[in-house]
Amino acid sequence: MILDCDLLVGRDIVTGTRLSGVELAGALPELGIGGGLVTSLRSLLFDAPSGNDEARAAVAAEHGWQAVAGVDLRDPLTALAEVSRAASLGVRAVRLAPERQQVPATAPGLRAVARSAAEAGLVLLVEGDVRVVGPALAGLGASAVFVDAHFYHLGDFVLLARDEPGFHASTRLLGDIDGWELLAEAAGVERLVFGARPGWFEAAAVVDRLAGSGLSAAERSLVTGGNLNRLLGVTA
Amino acid sequence: MIIDVHGHWGPWFFHTDVADAAVNLRVMDECGIDVQLVSAVEAVVYDPLTGNPALLPVLEAQPRLRGLLVVDPRDLDLAASQLSSLLPTGLFVGAKIHTHYAGSPGGSAAMADALTLLASYDLPVLVHTWGEEIVDLADVVARVDGARVVAAHLGGPSWPLAPEAARRSDRIWFEPCWSTPAPGRIRWVLDRIGPERLMFGSDATLIHPAVTLGAIRAAELSPVEEELVMWRNAAELFGLGDAQTLRQPGIQTPSSTV
Repeated sequence: MILDCDLLVGRDIVTGTRLSGVELAGALPELGIGGGLVTSLRSLLFDAPSGNDEARAAVAAEHGWQAVAGVDLRDPLTALAEVSRAASLGVRAVRLAPERQQVPATAPGLRAVARSAAEAGLVLLVEGDVRVVGPALAGLGASAVFVDAHFYHLGDFVLLARDEPGFHASTRLLGDIDGWELLAEAAGVERLVFGARPGWFEAAAVVDRLAGSGLSAAERSLVTGGNLNRLLGVTA
Repeated sequence: MIIDVHGHWGPWFFHTDVADAAVNLRVMDECGIDVQLVSAVEAVVYDPLTGNPALLPVLEAQPRLRGLLVVDPRDLDLAASQLSSLLPTGLFVGAKIHTHYAGSPGGSAAMADALTLLASYDLPVLVHTWGEEIVDLADVVARVDGARVVAAHLGGPSWPLAPEAARRSDRIWFEPCWSTPAPGRIRWVLDRIGPERLMFGSDATLIHPAVTLGAIRAAELSPVEEELVMWRNAAELFGLGDAQTLRQPGIQTPSSTV
């Protein structure tokens, strides 16, 4: 079964769409997705502590899920505290959503929160244009998965990845003919992490892109779980 | 049988290695696509003057690829000249207009002039649509006698406007490819415009066809819907013939090999 790094629950204020953990769990089997990293939109859009508690509750109810701590960069001081709380609770990843929160990549808080998370050994899930937010997170030694990396920007991601061994790209928007394969060739298949954002994105499109990929069985195994488990420190 | 009404041939300016038509064919085989309508990337993003004729030898060599002649509404003299010279080859089955690259929004006077020209050749046209221009384009189609248009991308993020566009004219059809597809979009649109108005397109070789095929799979088409959406609507609009014609000898397609 596939692990998806980009599971979201809650309500998106932009579209008015709402997706509970139960609903998300019900949608995953037919996609062949067995679990992954789940973040609460409440934590990204309204209140990080209660949203992250919501994510952990969803995780507790579903086998194969791991919680991600969302933080709100509009209040970077609370975000820093939430990173510490997440680490103390055993959470393994933090989600940064500067574009969603209309925080520029130049904001001091973004880099401070990312540094704090990296120092705590947490994986970053990073939303937004990789050309903009990627450079802002360089030089921190961070392990990061850019969940909005688009094939339009593949060349820039490869350049970033050359200098940043911890930078990874999600599969979700790498939907061109050879983006997965070119990234594997240029930066290593270890840099590609399956993400489809089911319920919020047409995840079947990513699943079918996986089926049509030119990756070997071993490479697919890394993309669909091995790489994420490595980042999270999960041993088989 | 699958007909892909939205394909491209030639190199892109992104980091991707798809310039050779062999890539089109390989991916078509992998995805079960029998026929793909292609426009030259060069003609779309740079210059139809050189881009459209560059496609000719590709079409001559690859019968599963059918041409879409790129028209820039700002240069209809060139378009008229190329329509006169290139349509007689029989290799082009339609036209392509990109509203963004050609600086000609769907509702513009230039678009109306271009559609008038194409209607005079009875040539259907695939028009890139993004945003609210999908409705504006439908209004232009309604005003231009004989115009037949496929609205590419369903307007992208403005796909909820597709039913309204469909109401403005019965000579506009829709094609759903999008690199960032919203969940449930195709079923939602299909239930409102009917299966006679939607046809498959991929935007290959920019986007992998699996992306839109996956979105269509998620829409769970009925057998009737599948036949219309995946090939029959396109075959009728672009005059490609029936399934038997499309599998004529010498054209080895996925459908003829399974």
